[in-house]
Amino acid sequence: MNNTTAITSDFKRFIRFFLQELKPKGKWLTPFNIISIPVILLGTIILFIRFTQGLGSVTNLSQEFPWGFWIGFDVVIGVAFAGGAYIITFVVYVMKVEKYHSIVRVTVLNGLLAYIFYAGALVLDLGRPWHIINPIIGNSFGYNSVLFLVAWHFLLYMLAEFVEFSPVIAQWAQLEKVRKFVSALTLGAVIFGITLSMLHQSGLGALFLMAKPKIHPLWYSEFIPILFFVSSIFAGLSMIIFEGTISHKVFRNLIGEKSQHSFEEIILGMAKGAAISMFVYYFFKALIFIHEQQWELINDFWGYWYLVEVIGFVLIPCFMFAYAVKTRNTTIIRLAAIITLIGIILNRLNISVIAFKWDAVNKYYPSWEEIIVTLMVVFTEIWVFRWIVTRMPVFSKQH
Amino acid sequence: MEFYYYVNIFETKGLEYVLLICFLVLFILLVRYLSTPEKKE
Amino acid sequence: MDRRNFLKTTAAVCAATLPFKNIKAEETEMKTEFSGVLVDTTRCIGCRSCEVACSKEHDLYVPDIKNDSALESLRTTSEKQWTVVNRFETEKGEVFVKRQCLHCWQPACTAACLTNAMYKTKEGPVTWDGDKCMGCRYCMVSCPFDIPKFEYNEWNPKIQKCNMCFERLQQGKKPACVEACPTDALMFGSKRQLMEVARHRVYNYPDKYVHKIYGEHDVGGTGWLYLSAIPFEQIGFSTDLGTTPYPEYTKEFLFSVPLVLFSIPAFLLGLNLLTNRKNELSEKQGWKNE
Ligand code: SF4
Ligand code: SF4
Repeated sequence: MNNTTAITSDFKRFIRFFLQELKPKGKWLTPFNIISIPVILLGTIILFIRFTQGLGSVTNLSQEFPWGFWIGFDVVIGVAFAGGAYIITFVVYVMKVEKYHSIVRVTVLNGLLAYIFYAGALVLDLGRPWHIINPIIGNSFGYNSVLFLVAWHFLLYMLAEFVEFSPVIAQWAQLEKVRKFVSALTLGAVIFGITLSMLHQSGLGALFLMAKPKIHPLWYSEFIPILFFVSSIFAGLSMIIFEGTISHKVFRNLIGEKSQHSFEEIILGMAKGAAISMFVYYFFKALIFIHEQQWELINDFWGYWYLVEVIGFVLIPCFMFAYAVKTRNTTIIRLAAIITLIGIILNRLNISVIAFKWDAVNKYYPSWEEIIVTLMVVFTEIWVFRWIVTRMPVFSKQH
Repeated sequence: MEFYYYVNIFETKGLEYVLLICFLVLFILLVRYLSTPEKKE
Repeated sequence: MDRRNFLKTTAAVCAATLPFKNIKAEETEMKTEFSGVLVDTTRCIGCRSCEVACSKEHDLYVPDIKNDSALESLRTTSEKQWTVVNRFETEKGEVFVKRQCLHCWQPACTAACLTNAMYKTKEGPVTWDGDKCMGCRYCMVSCPFDIPKFEYNEWNPKIQKCNMCFERLQQGKKPACVEACPTDALMFGSKRQLMEVARHRVYNYPDKYVHKIYGEHDVGGTGWLYLSAIPFEQIGFSTDLGTTPYPEYTKEFLFSVPLVLFSIPAFLLGLNLLTNRKNELSEKQGWKNE
């Protein structure tokens, strides 16, 4: 009994504390706010139109291109970029490499928010979103669908990430008992999370397996799921490098000088991982290329475009990473990370939009409204991220 | 109008194994390159 | 009751009480054959009565068939019309081709649908249920014939596609288009019957028809079948879709999911314990005091 009263009083205190923390901190007129606030407002208006007059009123989607930028960019790419969380938790909690411990919290937070916002962007794209509960509460389980699987994994993975992150929340809210309890769950959540990640990262690729006649043969392969999984490894690592670099500039005062230094070491380690996984990925692509006997396809626009993606945005950044690790040059690593991220964007968009119905007369390209809404999703995520890191002990390592 | 003819679906296997061997060799080189301690500037 | 009948009933009763029961029941259910329609393009005169009948039956846009201008361009089915007739100029003169959902035997769209809104009924038609659909449009991405269409300009959009007049079939009637066709270009029946008729026509008039029945094996077999006088590529059909049922392309992935869920957590836990052991040996530390 004592326990419950303690918990309820804890809870009351937490609510009071939460309300007080909701208030903004710091300056209002930063450049980021000046850009993001209008975008978010505009995006809200566009979404209002979208929900009252249908998807056609703001997007360029058509009967030929049922999936556009919102799925191709927000969901497919957003989730690939969020892959860092499962890699880092694997390295830290399963393999116990202490070196990366200091970035676990921020990476998990990033992953969690990315899933909430980018996978959540799926809802914007649904024609009848109020039926989204159907495959979840079970009045109509479409077990046979890859999307069913992906949707469930998103949901479960968000839960796992939330559990992984909850010790930080508990620590912030000074709920010591809760923190102890949820910390004990961490390893379970991590293992579950990694498994789910493997499945839905590849599942996103498997979505396109049935679109066989629609995707250019250079991009279609029965191994799309594996390619998606492998590429999510270096996508996630590059994202940590990229995003970490920015946070270390913006939140300099939150991050101690010491971890500033260890971050260099972390970047070097991750660059090594990225170089190796990209090398494997490149040869995987080559193997598929040979296996499918695709050499006749290489000598036209799409063939060159394919080479640009595979050589320019996989092989070259791979060598850049390797070279930079050797010479301990973090600038080159950052550059390579950015190129890799662009490469991932290219690859995912190629499969979902660009090389999808590559010979169609009326090609799809996103409308400005679609881009604004995408930016809105990204900016809102950054707002929430900023709100959390300035309040919770995300960057510090102490337990 | 369906024609039936023999398709050897393993035609490229030889090349694939060559690729694999190249990969392994290069992979070892890459890993060695990455893990040898860098020279002091 | 004679002896044989008695034995039969006893056997049936026994079977009903045994766990085989369900298998038996399913077997009898499978006896319902998938229905379909045979479209003989050599008989079609392009009158478009089927378009009108379809639209009237399903409260869709009713085209004006007095005016032939719609035939000028190649049309696809749309969110307003579930079936369209196209005209092709070929070496054998004008050929008219009616297009609609082919009601595949193993439809990509139903395999794609995560809510079972797209549903392959046991009678053969592939139907759509608005109470389940969440509008993800994955069925549109997956259908090899690009048949499902989406109402982009509705706040409450529907997926529109031919349902082979499922309501009429329930009442024992034929699909509206079949009934409306004045030249018997459309013939309704079970696929087995239709294949017999189609083969019969090809054998009897080997010079009139190309020796392929579209839909016999394409994408694993479809409910609707086509006969033609000229190669199918020339009248707007994709002949390179293969004979693999489309759901098979995702089969391996879907099967590997439980395998991964079985094995990877155990593997990861093992890995973790292994590293624990290593750390313990060096500095007596476990993940619990993490
Ligand atoms: S033609 Fe397309 S919509 Fe019709 S059953 Fe086949 S996959 Fe489904
Ligand atoms: S749009 Fe509707 S019918 Fe089509 S796959 Fe999604 S939920 Fe199923």
